[in-house]
Amino acid sequence: MALPAVAGPMTLADAADQRCRAGASASGFQPALPIATKTLRDTGKLTIVAIGSSTTAGAGASGEDKSYPTVLQDELRRRLPQAEIRVVNRGVGGQSAYEMLTRMNTDVIEQAPALVIWQTVAADVVNHVGEDKLAKILKKGIRKIQGAGIDLVMMDLPWLQRADRYPHYDDYRAVLKRAADASGVPVFPRYGMMKEWAHSQRFTPEELIGMNGTELVEAGYRCLAIRIADGVAAAVTTARPERTEARKVTY
Amino acid sequence: MTQVITLLRFMLLGRGPGEGGVAVARDARIDVIRGLALLMIFINHMPGNIIAAYMPHNFGFSDGADAFVLLAGVSATLAYGSLIERRGLVVSALKIGARLWTLYIAHLAMFILVCGVVAAAVTRTQNPLYIEAINIQPFFSDTLAALVDVLLLRYQPSYLDILPLYIVLLALFPLVYLAARRSPIATVLVSLSIWQAALWFGLNFPNVHAAGWFFNPFAWQVIFTLGIVIGLAMQRGIATPQARWLDAVALAILVGAYLAKTASGNPTGIALFNDWFDSVQLGSDKTNLAWSRLLHLLALVWLAMRWLPAGAGLLRHAVGRMLATVGKHSLDVFCAGTVLSIAGQIVMAETGFAMGPQLLVCLVGVSILVGLGIFLTWYQSLTLSGGPSAKPSQQASSQPR
Repeated sequence: MALPAVAGPMTLADAADQRCRAGASASGFQPALPIATKTLRDTGKLTIVAIGSSTTAGAGASGEDKSYPTVLQDELRRRLPQAEIRVVNRGVGGQSAYEMLTRMNTDVIEQAPALVIWQTVAADVVNHVGEDKLAKILKKGIRKIQGAGIDLVMMDLPWLQRADRYPHYDDYRAVLKRAADASGVPVFPRYGMMKEWAHSQRFTPEELIGMNGTELVEAGYRCLAIRIADGVAAAVTTARPERTEARKVTY
Repeated sequence: MTQVITLLRFMLLGRGPGEGGVAVARDARIDVIRGLALLMIFINHMPGNIIAAYMPHNFGFSDGADAFVLLAGVSATLAYGSLIERRGLVVSALKIGARLWTLYIAHLAMFILVCGVVAAAVTRTQNPLYIEAINIQPFFSDTLAALVDVLLLRYQPSYLDILPLYIVLLALFPLVYLAARRSPIATVLVSLSIWQAALWFGLNFPNVHAAGWFFNPFAWQVIFTLGIVIGLAMQRGIATPQARWLDAVALAILVGAYLAKTASGNPTGIALFNDWFDSVQLGSDKTNLAWSRLLHLLALVWLAMRWLPAGAGLLRHAVGRMLATVGKHSLDVFCAGTVLSIAGQIVMAETGFAMGPQLLVCLVGVSILVGLGIFLTWYQSLTLSGGPSAKPSQQASSQPR
């Protein structure tokens, strides 16, 4: 299968990034980010806090610069060259949603971001903390961020090659989705995307699951960041249709 | 009434009713409860298993870790406190130093074993979530840095955080013991102040991959100190006062904790308590300790001292004897239990948390730990009663004076 046609010259890196968009129509990410949009328009600045566990921290990558928040920052700076963009990484490996809730004030709200990307529930499903309990924790966290006047995106759990290890895996994903939907929070469809990637045959198993199976490695992180950047850049530039049009060509 | 006066005299000045120290026979309650705590820690370290859902921490504020640290304080007093009285500070400090070295080596050995188990599991199963479960990623991504951090106790993967705490606490033992000897109540007040001050200033020991140590030593020294005071009271032959009203208070705390923990939301309807109920039900502040944890533990300790038969009473039952053999070899059982629980987690996930394998893992694990306790007891009796030179040292250790 050939890559979609692209207008203008395309670098090798761009070509590699194209595969990240495999199945983008099936698992779309078109969030509405009114606060981030307004903040960017009024101040020219956009601060994003990425809070989460090992995926956010960049576990398995060769360095911090290869974690998804750093790639996201690079991508957004490249796409929005006039804006002052900062992505703060607040990932701590192995943390549960509750542990993140306890550091929500100091790690997130005090940074005064316009947008928070919350990647969580991995430790909770592994430790089976209880669905009702998790629902309450997520609700509290969402309320805290929204109460501070910050846009929020929740990240779905990763797709696993073998899902039957955790019989409650889909239930916990549903808890996350319900909590997000109830508060109008967009969910970044990581699970669906990874599944598409796996079926697209454009990734080696090592790239998807990670060296020694340790984590999504750099290629995976990069794709995660590219797809989040696609969604965020589109959302915050809706007021500038010429950009959106120009970007559409590249798909 | 005289009991209360004796207790007050002890709490203020650390004096016993008699002139000198009283010889204390080994109290089986310590070993039995510690054995129980160790088995509970093993089960709880395999989260998501059905038996863990029935462990006491679901029905109260404190759990096996609290009991373990408290009893560490009690038994340190009975062992090293008596040694300080008999042989002085220098010999005791050397002895404690040797023990600290053993604990440190045990911690490192356990770390390597756990890394090996997880590495083997991840390469064979391709399941990245095992890394998340134990937070062992830093060791695989930057082994050189992680190695140094492990040696400095600045990197503690999940479940490998109790021994570092114990190392710090035992190193502090001579200081706390000497203070408690002068005035238990003053020592407890200082200990509580350090805890609260650390909370206020956000103090904790450094952890390169988290906010601080999972068991903040500034907080958990409170429980260890209470253990030392209880041990000292036992050494001085202080009887537990026959205070029925305190029994009632302790019971009320346990019932209240049960209700708060198992309720959904805030049953009182008083908005002021909303946050407290959330913190109790959604997670517990294990890192920094909490008044609710401490009160719950104290209530349990009080009832255990009042109503569990002292001396060798608990050893009349087979279960008591079995738990005591586990509790007597706490370091070995704890280390074995930690490695087994992580292997158990992996087995449970690989079998999709099906009921049969879950129960089997728990049963096999507990059997191995109990078997280890029995084996070590037998092995000890073998080496102690065997040679003629071993006899005097056995007498010395069994009769602390």
